[in-house]
Amino acid sequence: MAISVQQLRRTYGAFTAVDDLSFEVARGEIVGLIGPNGAGKTTTLRTLAGILKPSSGRVVIDGHDLATAPIEAKRRLAFMPDEPHLFEYLTVEEHLRLVARLYTVQDFDRRAQDLIAELELTGKERALPGELSRGMRQKVVIACGLVRDASVLLFDEPLTGLDPIGIRRMRDTITRRAKQGAAVVLSSHLLHLVQEVCTRVIIMAKGHKVADGTVRDLAARAELATADSNLEQIFLEITGHAPQFAPEKRD
Amino acid sequence: MVLATLYIMWCTAKNRMRRRLSRLREPRYLIGAIIGGLYLFFALYGRTRPRRPPAGVAASPGARQAQRVIASFAAAAPSLGGLALLVAAAVSWLMPFGSGLLEFTPAETEFLFTAPVARRHLLFYRLMRSQWAVLFGALVMSLAYPIASIPARIRGLIAVWLILMTAHVFFTGVTLSRPQVTRRSTTSRGLARGMMTVLFAALAVVLVSIGRHLWAQPILTLRDAYQVVSAVATTGTPHLVLLPFIALVRPLFASGWFEFFKAIPVALLTYAGVIAWVLRADEAFGAMTEELTESEVNRPTRKRPAYQVRGVGWDLALTGRPETPFVWKGALQTFRIVDRRVLIRIGVMIAWLTTVVALFGRARGLAEAIGLLATLGAIFAGIIGPQIFRVDLRQDLQHLEVLKTWPVRPSAVVRGEMLWPAAVVTALTWVFGAVGILLSAATFSTTTLSVRIAVGLAGMILAPALVIAQFTIHNTAALLFPAWVPLGMGRPRGVDAMGQRVFMLGATWLMLGFVVAPGVIVGGIISFAFRRLVGWWILIPAALVCAAIVGAEVLMATEALGPAYERLDLSSVERGD
Repeated sequence: MAISVQQLRRTYGAFTAVDDLSFEVARGEIVGLIGPNGAGKTTTLRTLAGILKPSSGRVVIDGHDLATAPIEAKRRLAFMPDEPHLFEYLTVEEHLRLVARLYTVQDFDRRAQDLIAELELTGKERALPGELSRGMRQKVVIACGLVRDASVLLFDEPLTGLDPIGIRRMRDTITRRAKQGAAVVLSSHLLHLVQEVCTRVIIMAKGHKVADGTVRDLAARAELATADSNLEQIFLEITGHAPQFAPEKRD
Repeated sequence: MVLATLYIMWCTAKNRMRRRLSRLREPRYLIGAIIGGLYLFFALYGRTRPRRPPAGVAASPGARQAQRVIASFAAAAPSLGGLALLVAAAVSWLMPFGSGLLEFTPAETEFLFTAPVARRHLLFYRLMRSQWAVLFGALVMSLAYPIASIPARIRGLIAVWLILMTAHVFFTGVTLSRPQVTRRSTTSRGLARGMMTVLFAALAVVLVSIGRHLWAQPILTLRDAYQVVSAVATTGTPHLVLLPFIALVRPLFASGWFEFFKAIPVALLTYAGVIAWVLRADEAFGAMTEELTESEVNRPTRKRPAYQVRGVGWDLALTGRPETPFVWKGALQTFRIVDRRVLIRIGVMIAWLTTVVALFGRARGLAEAIGLLATLGAIFAGIIGPQIFRVDLRQDLQHLEVLKTWPVRPSAVVRGEMLWPAAVVTALTWVFGAVGILLSAATFSTTTLSVRIAVGLAGMILAPALVIAQFTIHNTAALLFPAWVPLGMGRPRGVDAMGQRVFMLGATWLMLGFVVAPGVIVGGIISFAFRRLVGWWILIPAALVCAAIVGAEVLMATEALGPAYERLDLSSVERGD
């Protein structure tokens, strides 16, 4: 398994953000992580990325335990957060070069050129983050994640700030990377995107995993296995918000 | 707007206090707070009690001497204070930074700039919010006021508060006016140029007068300097041009309540005049707020970056030591934030300082003055540099989320973060030190050449070790007490933050003592053992041994800091207020 999470627990003081979370992701799989605000999705992704230390439990990336072999595990990871954190004094090209150096990327120049073209950053190579729009900065973060051959890709709201063309390209990129053998975990509130690209969905609520399976599995569980049932209905049903959010349907 | 401002101030203070108190549940912060609190208590308690000799006991000779000095100073003090204010006001036009009063947080921009309030109210809001900091600064100064009764301290508090507030508002006006000076249009340009011309003309009048005195009779001692400056500031045209500044500082030197109340209205009038000048710069403030609002709403290209792209002639290689990318990153950050205007302003300040020192030391020559300046500069750079130049983990904690994902050994991260700033500060110390050694014949004329060179070279050898040791201590503090470290370019404010800073400074010096002690002891033994044999030259190998020992300690410390970096949690890093 590319990702193995075992009984993960993460607390902030007295507050438990994630509790007893276990799941696995195989190479080529795209797993959608969805849940209401405060469900623990971002904490889960940040813990998987090595930013937060688990309070208890274990995270294994490509056979490397994140606690005991962090460098080997992180070498295989690419985390793309929802809020683009960039160094204000490095240009787009320099960000990519820095990442290439840290992750020992071969054939950097070609890769960087391809990515800059793919993400429509051409002409912005020598721009500083302060000169870029929110969407552009998000693209730079994504480029930094994709410039290396990571076997595990973690996306936290990857489409925030992107324009429609960017969203379409991003969707294609995620699918292509999975086909090339990467394990992808993707957190998003855009349920139609999750339904479209993910091979499996994990629903979280109040720090716990409440459902895990394909959209068809989840629909069956929520007794919504009709022809027009979608992930939004399933999500509302499973998280117990259906009556509040869809009173007409119930009536 | 007043009520809204008070509400924001109350909520901010309440929530900040709650957050800081909850942090005290961690033993490290609790112990730190207790030590900091005790330090503040003992440091200030002694000063709140006026020191009077017991009844029937005559004042000591030292106290009588101090009273005589104060009495002689009292007559010229307002004029000298006024002169100092004039110089500060003129220098503020050359400063390469802006007033903190105009720095709105993203939240303030989101909520207040979009609210239906007048632009002047935004400035008023920032003025209100800055009151706590200014009042606290005044309180500290009044507590530190030497030999004074409780009423004198109260008068001092009010007077210092008035001076600080006026300075605060004036500097805001300067920040708003600077860009207006070169603009084509408008009333704002007239106001900006007018104030600048008046100020520099006043300064020129004073400087010309001082220059005349110097030409007639060079200054040999500090006493001479004091007499010349007092004579200039208290008589003739210079005294006239200094009147508004003297009016502002006069309440501070009032000997009783009657004199104080007599001086206060004129000081308040000066304050009102400065406020009026700043509010007349409404057009400039409007342009600034509009620019800010627009950039915050649209975010993209119009926002002027704080950094400017410029090549440093160093392309990061794709392989090599893990520390190198951090050094490269630090180099780019340093060279990109320093722009030409900053360099020109610094150059002007250095030239001005050198000229003043040279004029004052004309009797013994320019070489001595520059040599002395360079020696002091080397000491200052080596000791204060690591506290000021924070291009290390202290700034990069704000990027912790990114750093933590990198596959780099924690000890390499810590080392890499410190190497660049340590190299810069060392280089600066060496440059000053080299000039100091070159001109040491003039500065330390009674010392032999061999002693001067041996001491100078030993100092140069020790400099990198001392500098990197200080950076290690600062970065250790950042990793162990992240919530007390000002994040990025911001600085936390308030009583507790001040206490923490004092505590951290003391702890840093103490730690530095511990770190250098083994090296100093071994170096000292070597010097003592071979001094008679080799003479002062023994200082050089002794310094080499000392530097090597400190270097080894730093290496061990960075390795030991790895687990602390691993444990460092994003939630423990606090953003500056």
